[in-house]
Amino acid sequence: MKKIFLYKFLSIIFAVLAFGCTTPYNYQTQEFEDLLVVEATITNQLKFQEIKISRTYTLEESTPKVETGAAVYITDNLGDRYDFQEKNGTYVSLNQFQASSGRAYQLHVLTKDGKTYISTAEKLPQQTQIDHLEATAITKNDELGVEITVNSSDPTNMSKYYRYEYEETYQVIASKWYAKKAVVVNGKIQLVDRVEEARTCYSYQTSNELLLTNTSKLSEDKVVNFPVRFIDSKNKIIRNRYSILVKQYVQNLAAQTFYETLKQISNSGNILSQTQPGFFSGNLKSVDNPGEKIIGFFNVSTYSEKRIFFNFRDLFPKEFTPEYQYDCPYPIPEASVDQYVFSFSSNVAVELLKSGTRVYYPTETPDFILYDIQCGDCTSFSSNIKPSFWID
Amino acid sequence: MRIFTIILLFFGLNQLMYSQDQKSTISINFSNINQVEVLKKIEASTNFKFYFQEEWFDKTVLISGDYSNKTIEEILPKLFKDTDINFFIDKNKIILTKNSVIYDKYPIKGTKDLNTKTPIFFQQYDSVGKNKPETENPIALIGKEEIDSEIDFYILSGHITDLKDNKPLADITVKAKNTTISTTTDASGFYSLKLPTGISTIEVQSLVYRNTARKIMIYSNGTLDFSVVEKINQLDEVVVKGKSNQNIRTAITGVTTIEAEGVKTIPLILGERDILKVALTIPGVKTAGEGSSGFSVRGGKEDQNLVLLDNATLYNPAHLFGFFSSVNPYTINKVDIYKGGIPSEFGGRLSSVFDIISKNGNTEKFSGEGGIGPVTSNLTASIPVVKGKASLLVGGRATYSDWILKSLDDENLKNSEASFYDLFAKYNHKINKNNSIEGTGYYSKDRYSITPDSLYQYSNRLVSLKWKHAFSEKTNSEFNVTNSEYKFSINYDSPNPESFIYKYKIDETQVSLKFNTAFKAKHKFTYGISSKLYKVNPGEMTPNGSNSIVDPIKIDNEKGLESAAFLSDKFEITEKLLLDVGARYSLYAALGPSTQKIYQEGVPLTNSTVIEEKNYTNNEVINTSGGFEPRIGLRYIFDDSFFIKAGFDKNFQYIHLLSNNTTQAPTDTWKLSDLNVKPESGLQYSLGLFKKLDYKDIELSLEGYYKTSKNLVDYKVGATTILNQNIETELLQGEGKAYGVEFLLKKPYGRLNGWIGYTYSRSFIKLDSQFNDEKVNNGDFFPTNFDKPHDVSIVMNYKFTKRYSFSSNFVYQTGRPVTYPIGKYVLNGAEYTLYSDRNKFRIPDYYRLDIGLNIEGNHKIKKLAHSFWNISIYNVLGRNNPYSIFFVTKEGQIKAYKTSIFAMPIPTITYNFKF
Repeated sequence: MKKIFLYKFLSIIFAVLAFGCTTPYNYQTQEFEDLLVVEATITNQLKFQEIKISRTYTLEESTPKVETGAAVYITDNLGDRYDFQEKNGTYVSLNQFQASSGRAYQLHVLTKDGKTYISTAEKLPQQTQIDHLEATAITKNDELGVEITVNSSDPTNMSKYYRYEYEETYQVIASKWYAKKAVVVNGKIQLVDRVEEARTCYSYQTSNELLLTNTSKLSEDKVVNFPVRFIDSKNKIIRNRYSILVKQYVQNLAAQTFYETLKQISNSGNILSQTQPGFFSGNLKSVDNPGEKIIGFFNVSTYSEKRIFFNFRDLFPKEFTPEYQYDCPYPIPEASVDQYVFSFSSNVAVELLKSGTRVYYPTETPDFILYDIQCGDCTSFSSNIKPSFWID
Repeated sequence: MRIFTIILLFFGLNQLMYSQDQKSTISINFSNINQVEVLKKIEASTNFKFYFQEEWFDKTVLISGDYSNKTIEEILPKLFKDTDINFFIDKNKIILTKNSVIYDKYPIKGTKDLNTKTPIFFQQYDSVGKNKPETENPIALIGKEEIDSEIDFYILSGHITDLKDNKPLADITVKAKNTTISTTTDASGFYSLKLPTGISTIEVQSLVYRNTARKIMIYSNGTLDFSVVEKINQLDEVVVKGKSNQNIRTAITGVTTIEAEGVKTIPLILGERDILKVALTIPGVKTAGEGSSGFSVRGGKEDQNLVLLDNATLYNPAHLFGFFSSVNPYTINKVDIYKGGIPSEFGGRLSSVFDIISKNGNTEKFSGEGGIGPVTSNLTASIPVVKGKASLLVGGRATYSDWILKSLDDENLKNSEASFYDLFAKYNHKINKNNSIEGTGYYSKDRYSITPDSLYQYSNRLVSLKWKHAFSEKTNSEFNVTNSEYKFSINYDSPNPESFIYKYKIDETQVSLKFNTAFKAKHKFTYGISSKLYKVNPGEMTPNGSNSIVDPIKIDNEKGLESAAFLSDKFEITEKLLLDVGARYSLYAALGPSTQKIYQEGVPLTNSTVIEEKNYTNNEVINTSGGFEPRIGLRYIFDDSFFIKAGFDKNFQYIHLLSNNTTQAPTDTWKLSDLNVKPESGLQYSLGLFKKLDYKDIELSLEGYYKTSKNLVDYKVGATTILNQNIETELLQGEGKAYGVEFLLKKPYGRLNGWIGYTYSRSFIKLDSQFNDEKVNNGDFFPTNFDKPHDVSIVMNYKFTKRYSFSSNFVYQTGRPVTYPIGKYVLNGAEYTLYSDRNKFRIPDYYRLDIGLNIEGNHKIKKLAHSFWNISIYNVLGRNNPYSIFFVTKEGQIKAYKTSIFAMPIPTITYNFKF
């Protein structure tokens, strides 16, 4: 749906072109507002809690400015105080702590320019565990793929509002890996045994969309098969073994509403109806100037996570395995033999190997193939460190 | 005048002229011939010669007679019985006079002769009071002077009618000057006065109509009819007619009438003589922007205007992105615009009523009108069906803009398509004196395509039936049945599997019954009932073609019944003070079948707070709302040239247009009130001062208003309204306030005529709540999308000769408010755009000058059609007025673009004809 709308949205621009003229409008950030942006979610997980504080930036800039030198701490209604300390642009709690139920937490931020911001007091919602995750092969919008769904239930009927994040870890097995690698010694190409793992690697990526659901309409507080992720069967990330960690945050209504709005304004709208643009605030306020705008939400959530693994063949016994991440042709097509096949005496091959962009692969003849490095050495784009949670 | 000269002549003679002949006898007989022929017969058989004017006699009166051996003096009185003719015999010449007697002797002063009265020589009076003639009218001679009249008083009676439409006028004072003799006309315009014999000056006085006086000479009981003209405006050369006269006759504030005939000289876009566009030059009525179909009246939203065509609601009054109004101007008689007080018979919208009344066809002869322009052509024909009683008016209009777009070189334009047509038919039939019926049918359709794979279509359809019945002279009624439908569709057809068809439809049927009753000359009651059933299909999307994978979505239909009873009284407390007091009680019921969501109480409505879905069966009442809507207007006339008006009005609105594009688009959807969407309500206080200057007939008006409203519909940040199952979660309802001052200077006639309007107005809305999510701009009042403080329009016409005239039209408006992106921020790993406070900035100001030259066809009597050329240039200054400003993210940068439509002068030539 979103794709149609984006397309249609572009077409509205053409519409206007048709009947009039569209000219770039001399527009600079009018009265840029330099606002504090606070991203703070603390959970009942015992850990070093993290808070990110940045500032808005102009339309012409490309990265946000981290707000440095701020005093950040959380207090609770029992008089405890949890201090945070700036570390690599993130504010991390000095000690590990966890949010506990029955306490009301408040975030305090004192910026270096002397302004004080405070959140409303937030309580920890009901704690609910993810019951189970499922990876099912289904066809969605005419595309075969795997859908990862989450199930959770709260017999107390109190959780209601759920937000999900996920971390994906997937195996990468270099398709043209060879036990030896070519190195250039004194201008000569020599083969040496590989000592470091370069065949099997693990890539990692996190969700970047807001996944929200609620059970308020339902008679029972049950999240049933909520789809957190759909992966097309041709997607390279499920070529080998794949693992997903789904994180469930149970949050309160105000947080839910904040994220829902955030989700809506990130959709650019469509031809039928543009999204109403505007500013919306979360639960933070300036102590000195109540009219000052602050972006962000201090969210106190209960946390639960679950991980599953699957292999491509488990789910799609009959489908073609998705292609490798990079193009590594075999056999080498006639037309591009010049680009891939070299003899040991080739100076070009020497230069290519020196540049580190190519990797050795033998042939049945004395000549050899130089593939792009990603074909034979997965560390060129992934990590060869096996994560501690990984189960083969 | 001729009579007068003859009479004078004979006063000069003043002779004693008795002739032998008058003693001689004649014999004559005649049967069933008129008096003139009798006189000719006498002339033929005797040597008498008559001097008279034939038109003194009614030739349809036939008389018979048989006289033998009678003198001429015996015969003539019998002959002239029942006429105003007197005669004077001078030998064989017989001079006939109308009304007066030619005296053959002077009265002897000082003698008191009871039998003969002093004759009246009105010439004497005339020479005395000659210094200031009351009117140009000659002295009217009333009745038949009789030499031996013994009566001192006679009854003068007659009817007073409006010169324009011949309607009888009630409550007009008729008096004899410098006397206490006075009366007023009754409902049929009849008066009667008891006057002393002789000369009197009869004065007709009214605050509304131009005072008239007529000197009369009364000889016996007689009649004298007056046709009077309204005071403020003359009929010819008025561009916007009737504003003030309608204005002074009613107590309602903020009324404007625009008559179609009058607007033809205003230069308008693409040569269309567009009555609704003229409305936009009136203070207080603003377009939402170039290329927008909506308009905002006195700071109200676009959906707060009720546009009626022959009583049926016209949902989209625009063609082609608002460049043309959807009603063919040739079929319109007039538009009454109520932007202040709304008569109690209308309701359901907060800001205004545009009551478009179509023309009645010509019942006498076939006639027509048409126009040929570069973009559209139209033709209207009027066909008599029953002569003098019934006729059919049909009109059609179509574009050929497609052809123009196709013939252009530009690729983008070649792929576009934009066309429209509209059809109109009206049948009116006067069955008898007390009954008449009218039926109107109208259909309009627009199609446009922006890219080759998408086609937009929308159509208006309406049917209106009216039966007018007069119960008596004092009470008449009007029974109306109307049905309107508006729908649109988007047909997206492309090779990719996302093709869809999206459709929307609203249908309403109204039945109304209205009565007008005049009561004791001072009261005019209007009362009745009406009921309207709405049916809405709020949107459905279906896959287009077999390879489309779009999931069909259908939003549940909505149904609602809006009923009202109304009563108003135009109470003329004194001649100067007119009170129009009325009320409307409206009741709205949202009806099933429906599934309504119940939200948790005390928290914002969001998808996350739905706690229950409640089902309603067909026609089950979901909820009701309604209330009293008082409408009070007051007019007080200080003197002939100055009057004031004040008003207080309340309105409810149960239907809302959802559009979070800042300007009204054909694809906006109407939503009915229901369990979660409350009806809107509005109050308006208004005051107006109206002054006519002696200098060059200039009229001035100054009107002010203050409005407050409740439950205005607006949107949450991030809202999208289309195909939204939980639309109420996207809506906010807030408080509104608007105020303004409107100034108008009008010169209705003369070689140079036109008007200058200036408005200062503001319009604000407040969206406050205890929840941040429902708060906009910190819960403070902020400018609405139609807040355009300064607005100037100048419309001028200059007549060089009878045939050539020049006209110009200038518009200036403050740019409308807009929400700009002002920065970016990163949250949870994603980048978001930071927007300013809602409507914090404004797009650049809007101004435009159009000029036109109008050439009337020649005035030869024998020609096929009367023609009229209009050459106009739209946007002479080539001003690049922004239609919209939008932002596109390109290579990670947000870029702003300004779109304008017709950013260059557009010349047009239109040929109009009438036959």
